[in-house]
Amino acid sequence: MAPKLSLNRLAKRFGDLDVLADINVAIGRGEFIALVGPSGCGKTTLLRIVAGLEPASAGEVLLDGRAVRRPGSDRGFVFQSDNLLPWRTVFSNAIIGPELGGRTGPAEKRRTGDLLRLVGLEGFENYFPRQLSGGMRQRVNLARALAVDPEILLMDEPFSALDAQTREIMQTELMRIWEEGRKTVLFVTHQIDEAVFLSDRVLVLARRPGRVREDVAVALPRPRALAVKRTSEFVAYVDRIWRLIEDDVRASVIEEHA
Amino acid sequence: MATVETRSPIGAAPRAAAAASAASAAAAKPSPVQRRGLKLAGLVSILAGLALWELISRLLVANALFLAAPTQIVAAIYKLAVSGELGHHIAVSAAEFALGYVVACLLGIVLGFAMASSELAKKMLAPWISGLYATPTIALAPLFILWLGIGIWSKVLVVIFLVLFPVTINTEAGLRTTSMRLIEMLRSFGASPRQIFFKLSLPSATPFILAGLKLGIGRGLIGVVVAELFGSRAGLGRLISQSADAFNMPELFAGVVILAVAGIVMTAGFTWLERVLVPWTRD
Repeated sequence: MAPKLSLNRLAKRFGDLDVLADINVAIGRGEFIALVGPSGCGKTTLLRIVAGLEPASAGEVLLDGRAVRRPGSDRGFVFQSDNLLPWRTVFSNAIIGPELGGRTGPAEKRRTGDLLRLVGLEGFENYFPRQLSGGMRQRVNLARALAVDPEILLMDEPFSALDAQTREIMQTELMRIWEEGRKTVLFVTHQIDEAVFLSDRVLVLARRPGRVREDVAVALPRPRALAVKRTSEFVAYVDRIWRLIEDDVRASVIEEHA
Repeated sequence: MATVETRSPIGAAPRAAAAASAASAAAAKPSPVQRRGLKLAGLVSILAGLALWELISRLLVANALFLAAPTQIVAAIYKLAVSGELGHHIAVSAAEFALGYVVACLLGIVLGFAMASSELAKKMLAPWISGLYATPTIALAPLFILWLGIGIWSKVLVVIFLVLFPVTINTEAGLRTTSMRLIEMLRSFGASPRQIFFKLSLPSATPFILAGLKLGIGRGLIGVVVAELFGSRAGLGRLISQSADAFNMPELFAGVVILAVAGIVMTAGFTWLERVLVPWTRD
């Protein structure tokens, strides 16, 4: 089967700095892929290139064989900070993607309502972002990305601003939502356990330049409950990935403090 | 919620101010009983101040040539109102203020838009705007009277000069401080520059524009009065200057009180408008 998304010899330079070099990845339909790596390995840049928010310096991104260069409703982006418009209600924030595309008919409204129910925000449609907790705002962020019915969901550390307990809940919620539609997902995270818990494959990136060090297939059965995090298989995956990036992380920590 | 603002506008920076008041409210949240007590404290303070004023002017100064007591001022306002003189002065000043204020606000918003959307317009206009904003243009009032006569148009021009620049500067700053993160979010959904402007820049600039308009009220009132002092046939400034010439303190204060009330009422109106139009800036 042809890959849903392929990154071919993708590279990105900022001035003299090689941020990404020779990225070659093929992602199948419905796969959940996590990108982990130390700070500065270019994982967010990679996601932004796929989103079309940033041009690649070389190589190409193919979605169903078509090259993508600009943002489009075939991809939905879930941001690290919720980026909700404070003057819009939950519902009108969630429907903004279709609205920008000029589609706000009954079908889109129904779909947006269904998605808000799916992310657990039924009854909060007319609330304003300032009335919601951080976790609830991230649910709107997710519903907004899903509202354009994207073929690929691009998630940039969406739970990093949440406290540890809320993050765990959001991980299981994301799993439940993903099981419903099985979209192809590219998920950037710092948390190795989050990556292992969520994904089918974890792409471990190295830094300077950012490149794929290892492609770790996670063979844990689905659906996964939070208890899977305490199994020895799970811990072994986390341990293995940690050892792959440990030196890089140490180097980046030292650099940041220098 | 940290909002990155590259440039802060003049006047009340609504977000920062809101954040500060939210922080202080969190530090000591008064109970309902305490809050009623606090509200009462304001009233008591006003009444005590008026009583003190009354006492000082009746007993200490005891000279109607230098200070009028609040009761005398109220009596003067009543007398002027009954004779119809006050209504005429108010009507003239209000017309001058309203004409100048509306023209300045519309023009200021248009100029602010132009400066925010075109680098060329900004480069050309910015030195004039910031230069004239810093200049006490009220000093030009005699010149305007020379040009336009002692009727209302010289005052309208003074008001325009005083109100235009804060509105322009705030509009421009508001449009320019649109959050990059939010622009990026809209772009990710394929928004056009036009959509970004109408769905994001404009609403996020609204609190700044309102702050500019609010700032314009006080400046506009000063403009009306001072321009009238330089030369006019009618208006509250005229009332004040002719009362001063006649050492009629109650009528002088009557003019001042009417102006103060007008300023307070209009500012309160804008505060209410902010609560209705931009409720998200409160917390």
